[in-house]
Amino acid sequence: MAAKSRESVVLQPVSKSGTGKASKRNITYINVLQVLTVAALLGYMEYAVTSGKINRIFMASPSSIVEEAFHIAADGTLWPHLILTLQEVLVGYALAAGVGIIVGLIWTMFPKTEAYGNVFCSAIMAIPKTAILPLLILWFGIGFQSKVVLIFLFSVFQILYSTVTGAKQCKIEYLKVARVFNATKMQTVFKVMIPAALPSMFNGLRLAAATALTGVVFSEMQSAKAGLGYLLSESQNLLNTPRMFFIIILVTLISVCFVKLIAAIEYLLCHRWSRV
Amino acid sequence: MPTIKINKLDKYYPGENGETTHALKDINLEIQDGEFVCIVGPSGCGKSTLLEIVAGLLEHTDGEVLLDDIPVNGTSRDIGVVFQDASLYPWKTIKKNIAFGMDISGVPKKEQEERIAKYVKMMNLSGFENKYPSQLSGGMRQRAGIARALVMNPKVILMDEPFSAVDHLTRCTLQEELIRIRQEEKKTVLFVTHDINEAVYLADRVILLSPRPSTVQEEYDISIPHPRKRSDEYLVQKAAEIVAAISIGADKQEAVEYYI
Repeated sequence: MAAKSRESVVLQPVSKSGTGKASKRNITYINVLQVLTVAALLGYMEYAVTSGKINRIFMASPSSIVEEAFHIAADGTLWPHLILTLQEVLVGYALAAGVGIIVGLIWTMFPKTEAYGNVFCSAIMAIPKTAILPLLILWFGIGFQSKVVLIFLFSVFQILYSTVTGAKQCKIEYLKVARVFNATKMQTVFKVMIPAALPSMFNGLRLAAATALTGVVFSEMQSAKAGLGYLLSESQNLLNTPRMFFIIILVTLISVCFVKLIAAIEYLLCHRWSRV
Repeated sequence: MPTIKINKLDKYYPGENGETTHALKDINLEIQDGEFVCIVGPSGCGKSTLLEIVAGLLEHTDGEVLLDDIPVNGTSRDIGVVFQDASLYPWKTIKKNIAFGMDISGVPKKEQEERIAKYVKMMNLSGFENKYPSQLSGGMRQRAGIARALVMNPKVILMDEPFSAVDHLTRCTLQEELIRIRQEEKKTVLFVTHDINEAVYLADRVILLSPRPSTVQEEYDISIPHPRKRSDEYLVQKAAEIVAAISIGADKQEAVEYYI
């Protein structure tokens, strides 16, 4: 025993620094335990629901979730809702990214605009976005528009403020170099400040991607005629628990993929120079 | 003919509570064409302030700075600056960093390539053109910083403690390279350092600034030709002289503060 534990202490740092990437793919007993835990949980769920220990209304068995997934994908129920939700997220998020970044850059270029606008943005940002949903529905209806506006409001401030912070963190030396070479204001912004702000900007974009999906699902659950959130609250009303589970899983996957997509764009733009 | 003429230069910094800091006081300097001048002085004495004023990065309060008899107002193509930590852009490759000034002033790509190739070779950066600054050592980064300034072919190079962030051996190598480049390129160099040995080894003339408010306390001509030996008795003696003069200046300041 003693010899074995000593060996692992000695081996750990070697495998970390020595074999590099390959060691990351090594399956350790911790990974095995994790997989077993999940399998046990799923197995218990299956057993508990099918045997009737837990009422089918409160819990869905994994097999019934998979079955339901195939069912609503095959009969076409899922697709219009899925597509609508994706459209709402993409349009709202794209608007938020565009407006957030552009306003952020304007604020950086002309500090007086920040002095003017900051107080308004902070005030609007402070409002819990979910609280103004009733108003948005009144103004924009229960369809596409109100969702886009809500996602926009959910995301825009995060993107705006991370852009401004990033541009402000631009080292004073970087700006001095630009001045030494007589760069114009435009050149300074586009060749120095924006690249310097990219990491912080992407931080905001990534956080906003996660919140955007929260926003859309919430608003669709409240009042909508379609969308994944609508489908979710509808299946609750119909006591279709497997479908609820499936939609929750689906929304989670979309959210993760969305965040990964933004991270991938960041990686493409910045990985070569940003410190690993 | 003097390249840089500094006449009665004064610089006040606005401080807190409306108090002003008198950083530079009545600085008079003439730097000849092709001369290598080092500025030394106790820390906080305004060496970098003086350099930034000459670079046009900082406004002065009074007096004038002339470059070839034309007042310096803002930055100029004729003045290149090398910063303390190289200040390369981390998102650009070494090559793109060197090209930055030419990009800004719209030099055609073909000419850019030629000029970059020349200075990459001169600064021993061959093979590192497509690396990013984070992949390079401090010494290599500073080589790129120097190349970035030289590639614009300025008349004057201003250097603000350029070798202070690298280790001793690299520093010695960079010093040798600087001497060689300066002879090849015939540039006027104004070099700020806190390393007295570096100053006497490199310079034709060493300017000692006094503590704040800084004036020119003393000037030392280092009148031996390159190549110099670091252990040369003349240089060692000059360095000792300057060190002694710095402590006299510091004593004076302390005494003044004491009596107030």
